[in-house]
Amino acid sequence: MFLAIVPAYNESERVGSVVRSLLAHVDAVVVVDDGSMDDTAEVAREAGAVVIRHRLNRGQGAALETGHTYARNIGATYVLHFDADGQFSVDDIEPALSVMKKEHVDIIFGTRYIDTRSNVPWTKKYILRPVGKLVDRLFGGVHLSDAHNGFRIFNKKALEHMHLSHSGMAHASEIPALVKKHNLSYIEVPVSVTYHEYGQGIGGGVRVVRDLVLGKFSK
Amino acid sequence: MIIFQFLFLLFSLFAIGTVVKRKKDAVMSNIGTAFWMFFWVLADVVVFFPDSTTLFANRLGIGRGSDLITYVSLALVFFVLFRLHVKLHEIQRDITSLVRKDALEDRDV
Repeated sequence: MFLAIVPAYNESERVGSVVRSLLAHVDAVVVVDDGSMDDTAEVAREAGAVVIRHRLNRGQGAALETGHTYARNIGATYVLHFDADGQFSVDDIEPALSVMKKEHVDIIFGTRYIDTRSNVPWTKKYILRPVGKLVDRLFGGVHLSDAHNGFRIFNKKALEHMHLSHSGMAHASEIPALVKKHNLSYIEVPVSVTYHEYGQGIGGGVRVVRDLVLGKFSK
Repeated sequence: MIIFQFLFLLFSLFAIGTVVKRKKDAVMSNIGTAFWMFFWVLADVVVFFPDSTTLFANRLGIGRGSDLITYVSLALVFFVLFRLHVKLHEIQRDITSLVRKDALEDRDV
């Protein structure tokens, strides 16, 4: 089974269309509603998704790990991470899955930097990206051109190893570290990203580093 | 007695009262009670006899006893803050685990 995991927080405007378009490319969609205050859960359910609802907002990493647990419980063979805000294109899914099967890799990482389809803000491209790469290297991750891209596909082996401990956005640095730790094979494929909003800025980056540091001192 | 010493004595008595109350309410262990009583009495001794710390300070190569107190206090405050930060991080993780368990049980997977 090919399962799409869609973490969502207050995305009632876009999550319906995202779920409907995903269902043409995957076997099932699970939307993890991360304590939304709007109708995200109802809209996603009406669109055909399985909905798992966090009673409290815990962050994107927590929502993805809830999706992973669900995927492991139902025995999913492939898992896709896909954002709820419609920034990714479903047209990138099938080519990515084909590459994954052809190259026999455990993980596909989407990247905005192999082709020119994504109109990436220059601050992200020239300030946040190099800093993010440096942070990922410091915290033991594999080399990726776009580590904080939310488009990923895991096979079953990768899913078994992918137990995320970071609830917030630090999971994006934790995943490459887990790839290295468990010696998983991976490849990057180009995906397009359409920005509806800026997303994570410098403040978010500082929080990621803080969480990564504190995570080193916790159980 | 200078005003600061008087105010500090009042505050330390209030703190010792709180320790005694927590002991009576059975929320503090014998070791915890003894530690905090000792701590506040020692603080009173230092405040009333500031020169008493100079002896230790000199042995450590620090000129004044009050400087030693400042350095030790700062180090302790930073350590406690860091421990609190880590503890908060762990509590956040526990909350996330609970929220996840609850969400998945609700889903009846």
